[in-house]
Amino acid sequence: MSPEEEHPGRPTPSGGPATYQVTFELPDGSSHTVPARADEHVLDAGRRAGLQLPSRCEQGWDLVCAVRVLSGEFDQSDSRRYFDQDREAGFALICTAKPRSDMRVRTHQSRAMRDARRARGLPAPRGV
Amino acid sequence: MANDKPHATGTVAYGDVDRKVGIEVLRQQGINVEELVEKLIDNAAAEFASTYYYYSILRMYLAGHEDYKEICEDARLEDRQHYELILPRIYELGGSLPYSLHEFADRAGCPAAYLPGTDNGAHPPAEEPTAADILTVLLESERCAIRSWLEICQITAGKDPRTYDLASRILNEEIEHEAWFIELLAMERDGKVRPSGHFRRGFPGEAPYSRNRPFSHGGL
Ligand code: FES
Ligand SMILES: [Fe+2]
Ligand SMILES: [Fe+2]
Repeated sequence: MSPEEEHPGRPTPSGGPATYQVTFELPDGSSHTVPARADEHVLDAGRRAGLQLPSRCEQGWDLVCAVRVLSGEFDQSDSRRYFDQDREAGFALICTAKPRSDMRVRTHQSRAMRDARRARGLPAPRGV
Repeated sequence: MANDKPHATGTVAYGDVDRKVGIEVLRQQGINVEELVEKLIDNAAAEFASTYYYYSILRMYLAGHEDYKEICEDARLEDRQHYELILPRIYELGGSLPYSLHEFADRAGCPAAYLPGTDNGAHPPAEEPTAADILTVLLESERCAIRSWLEICQITAGKDPRTYDLASRILNEEIEHEAWFIELLAMERDGKVRPSGHFRRGFPGEAPYSRNRPFSHGGL
């Protein structure tokens, strides 16, 4: 199933994958809205727009790229380790998250996500 | 008398055995020692639990590809060596291994290199994994290792020469491992030549950069 079939979104005029708008809130207080295709990872979209965003494993494992999701839907199925409780707690791993709607995220949340995992007895690296 | 000529105390008193100058000087350089230790434990866990252990299984399933098997074996033994190399540094810096192996594995900084087709290790492989599948797992594991040890180098560069030296010796080998698996996967999967500069190790798991001490007296 192609991403468009799965999530109608807004197909591009050429019929390519839907494109959404993702707004990144950075620690310096600035926010930046960039286009992100349904078939790409949110981190890649942010980097393409020139944003300085943290990452390490880039496999959806170590939480270094964690964001808090303020609004919007995303597909986290490319991650190596992501729990339902992570979503319930409001976190995404953007190295392996594909947008499924317009999104607003707060970046640099690796420690908050690590602490949320630990509070729920879920595994996480400690040195993030 | 031992305290006839006490030195300037600084942060470590004369004769104090509860503090280490070897740690205090790092703080003076701006290193967050507690955070660094946590990262080193995560990396040690990745070496031991995410790669050394799982590469043992991946290696078994490369039967019939004797060249791949031996190169996987070098990477496997060198990852064990990476664990051995960084372990004393964790304790020198005041850290400790977790007292449970489960806890250690859970906190690894890189994903487990599960055998393909096992549903993340839940059951034996439903179908025999191909060599290309296994080489892909090996390749991606090395990539995470490179990023993890590079981070340690970046944190310690110019500030903590001892940790930097250990991490950079490990990083040297992780970069080699990635190149080896690119070379093998490119040919196996795509029929393409991607030379890695690989030469056979002198003996299995030689670890030319990261070998610390012999495992046994009189060993290599
Ligand atoms: S960079 Fe490791 S989880 Fe995204
Ligand atoms: Fe390693
Ligand atoms: Fe390695």
